[in-house]
Amino acid sequence: MSLPLAEPAIETSSTASRGWRPSHRLRRGLMLPLLLLVAWEASSHLRLVDPRFLPPLEAIAITAREEIWSGDLFLHLGASLARNLAGFAIGTLLGVAFGLLLGLSPVAGRIAGPTFHAAKQIAVLAWIPIISVWFGFAETAKVVFVAVAAFVPVALNTIEGAASAPKPLIEVCEVLTFSRWQRIRRAYLPSALPSILTGVHLGLIYAWLATVAAEYFMTVGPGIGGLIIAGRERFQMELVMLGVVILGTVGFLLNHIATLVEVRLLRWRA
Amino acid sequence: MSSGEIAIRGVSKTFRVDGRPLVALDRVDLDVAAGEFITIVGASGCGKSTLLRMIAGLEREHRGEIRHGGRPVSGPSLDRGLVFQEPRLFPWLTVAQNLALGLENARVDVAQKKRLVAEHLELVGLGGFGNAYPRQLSGGMAQRAAIARALVNRPEVLLLDEPFGALDAMTRAHLQGELQRIWDHEKITAILVTHDVDEAVLLGDRVVVMAPRPGRIARILDVSVPRPRDRRDPDLIRLRNEVLQELDAIKDAAPAALAS
Amino acid sequence: MTVLDLPHRLPSRPISLRLLRPLVAGLRDFAVALLLPAVILLLWAIGSAYELVPQQILPPPIYVWENFRDMLAGGELLQHAGISAVRVAGGFAIGAALGLLLGIAMGLSEVVDDYVRPLFTAIAQVPTLGWIPLLMLFLGIGEALKIVIIAKAALVPMVLNTSAGIRGVPKAYVEVADVFAFTRWQKLRRLILPAAVPPIFTGIRYSLTKAWTALVAVELLASAEGLGYLLVWGRQMFWLDTMIVAMVIIGLVGFAMDKILALAEAWLQSWRIDG
Ligand SMILES: Nc1ncnc2c1ncn2[C@@H]1O[C@H](COP(=O)(O)OP(=O)(O)OP(=O)(O)O)[C@@H](O)[C@H]1O
Ligand SMILES: [Mg+2]
Repeated sequence: MSLPLAEPAIETSSTASRGWRPSHRLRRGLMLPLLLLVAWEASSHLRLVDPRFLPPLEAIAITAREEIWSGDLFLHLGASLARNLAGFAIGTLLGVAFGLLLGLSPVAGRIAGPTFHAAKQIAVLAWIPIISVWFGFAETAKVVFVAVAAFVPVALNTIEGAASAPKPLIEVCEVLTFSRWQRIRRAYLPSALPSILTGVHLGLIYAWLATVAAEYFMTVGPGIGGLIIAGRERFQMELVMLGVVILGTVGFLLNHIATLVEVRLLRWRA
Repeated sequence: MSSGEIAIRGVSKTFRVDGRPLVALDRVDLDVAAGEFITIVGASGCGKSTLLRMIAGLEREHRGEIRHGGRPVSGPSLDRGLVFQEPRLFPWLTVAQNLALGLENARVDVAQKKRLVAEHLELVGLGGFGNAYPRQLSGGMAQRAAIARALVNRPEVLLLDEPFGALDAMTRAHLQGELQRIWDHEKITAILVTHDVDEAVLLGDRVVVMAPRPGRIARILDVSVPRPRDRRDPDLIRLRNEVLQELDAIKDAAPAALAS
Repeated sequence: MTVLDLPHRLPSRPISLRLLRPLVAGLRDFAVALLLPAVILLLWAIGSAYELVPQQILPPPIYVWENFRDMLAGGELLQHAGISAVRVAGGFAIGAALGLLLGIAMGLSEVVDDYVRPLFTAIAQVPTLGWIPLLMLFLGIGEALKIVIIAKAALVPMVLNTSAGIRGVPKAYVEVADVFAFTRWQKLRRLILPAAVPPIFTGIRYSLTKAWTALVAVELLASAEGLGYLLVWGRQMFWLDTMIVAMVIIGLVGFAMDKILALAEAWLQSWRIDG
């Protein structure tokens, strides 16, 4: 069901609680990356490796500057983010609605649940070819695919969350003679919220990866994925590397934003 | 308020545990007059909570009949408030919002609602904690909030399942006094389950002693001590001993049942 | 546990009926579960029978079924699936083994963790999709690319779960071991590794899932064989029946792998609780 996903950096508590002074650990942590960069620079300047394979770092910086100055980078990034957000919004809305339906209605859950759980096992990427048959190679197909990618984790976690409202609290609602709608609003939705947010968080990251995947496969129009593929076809390693760095950075930032939002919305938890 | 009487007639309840029937209550009869204060004691597992949940209307499938003010109980009603054995506060709502839940379906306007919530927070000594979340409360504070939530819309009948179990002696004594005061002032009917025999005789007009396996009423004792009562009153102490004796007799009669 | 109100002191029912009840309920759930797929299939069949949708957009289900049969009989399907399986097995074995070693090292030694973690995090942060075009330039589009990509995808969850599992050994147990003056080796063997088994197993499960999705990604973008390629090929030829067959197989294999590992994991957990 999942895209090949970057692991969100998990900060284990034991890592944080260890006794080393931070500066000490920072120095150790920077050692390997720095060594790697130096080796990279040296080998490309000393021509140990064909610079077409391993362009010096400054070449990447120059490419980045050119792309920024010409405005191309923003064009690509903007296009990618726009279809990312569109697909994410559609997928999330449908996912929450679908998940609530299945989680709150036992009948709907029993009818559609098994089919959904079976269908989600198809690796999301495998949907790209057939979506491109149904929707063409243009914008629609990409947005549809991004929406599918976001839909799956959102729906999955919403179902789980909605079905997990604690029985004791539902009984309180009964004693207070809450209507069905009041129960949903007061008990089912709030107790599903952490789970829904986990789903939306995952959906955001999956949507971003799906955006790039869609752009790899359907290279019409601007986009970061298209930029990378173009770089690969023209054998411009700098361009590919620049694209990959942006891909990782945007993923990192989206993850970060989602975490902040989650923490804020779930203040009531310990 | 005159319709606070409860009539329980031939009520039996059987649960199915692992496919086997388990008789939780066996032909229970009890009449509670409007404005009466009933306390229920009995060994763990003898069906006290089950009985309370049936009166509240949570447990609908049973034999026999329960009437409230002459009308059969067919489901929960705002006329009967229930304080559960655990606080059951909604963790995502503040204490004040949890209290307001009790008024969600009551016919009061916003200003009145605010006032009632504030008053009841004061009543249970949580005046400064309206904006706290449940996780920030101690066990006893949470239980007090739950009591306030049940009280806030002034039900005709208040059902309490070991409401003071988690409290220290001081707070417990204080809330016992408050509960008596509210009961007396509002003329509500109260049915309170407790493990504390002193509490049972202090608060009850009558003490219902229940026996387990199957759950049933073993004896009902009248507490004809005038109020306000003093817990050191010799009559109360004599009654307490009588209740304890009764409980001992039940235990001796069925040692095997308690052992399992 | 069902809650029923039974007439008072009912004689208990014959045992056979009691045992049958869950079975009957299970069968009923199964029937209900098949309702939606049946309806979809029916609509699909009707839609194509009356040519409500063009065949190029959605071939009739019977074509898909025949195509599946032909591909199976002709050996094509097994050939592509076999190639994919070998790739996943190879990449997963390498990635999970390296991940296990690295995770153990990072879990046991703070020094190793301090040195390696930032670089590891940076590498893990770039998704598999980013590594594919990059590595295509270095490694071409041969088997090496696939193995490296799948291995990388498998390595990351393995490292994270293994190191966290080892670090997460409850301090109380470590203190017990200290009281009995265990040597380092004894601690590792008797305490740390057994306690880390469940999280490591979780790591294996994630690892395999990631390996499978990485396989699909890399075969879609750079391959001339395998299940992913079948999709691309079907796309180019406009053979939707082939694409649908490939999708279903990809789903089934992913499902089967996850189920088997989930069962193994549950078994492992129960064994731990009993033991
Ligand atoms: N939902 C249920 N399903 C099956 N059995 C139940 C259920 N609820 C209660 N029982 C059984 O009914 C019996 C009475 O339970 P109940 O909770 O009413 O006891 P209690 O008198 O309130 O005990 P305590 O003093 O420990 O709270 C127990 O044997 C219990 O196992
Ligand atoms: Mg109880």
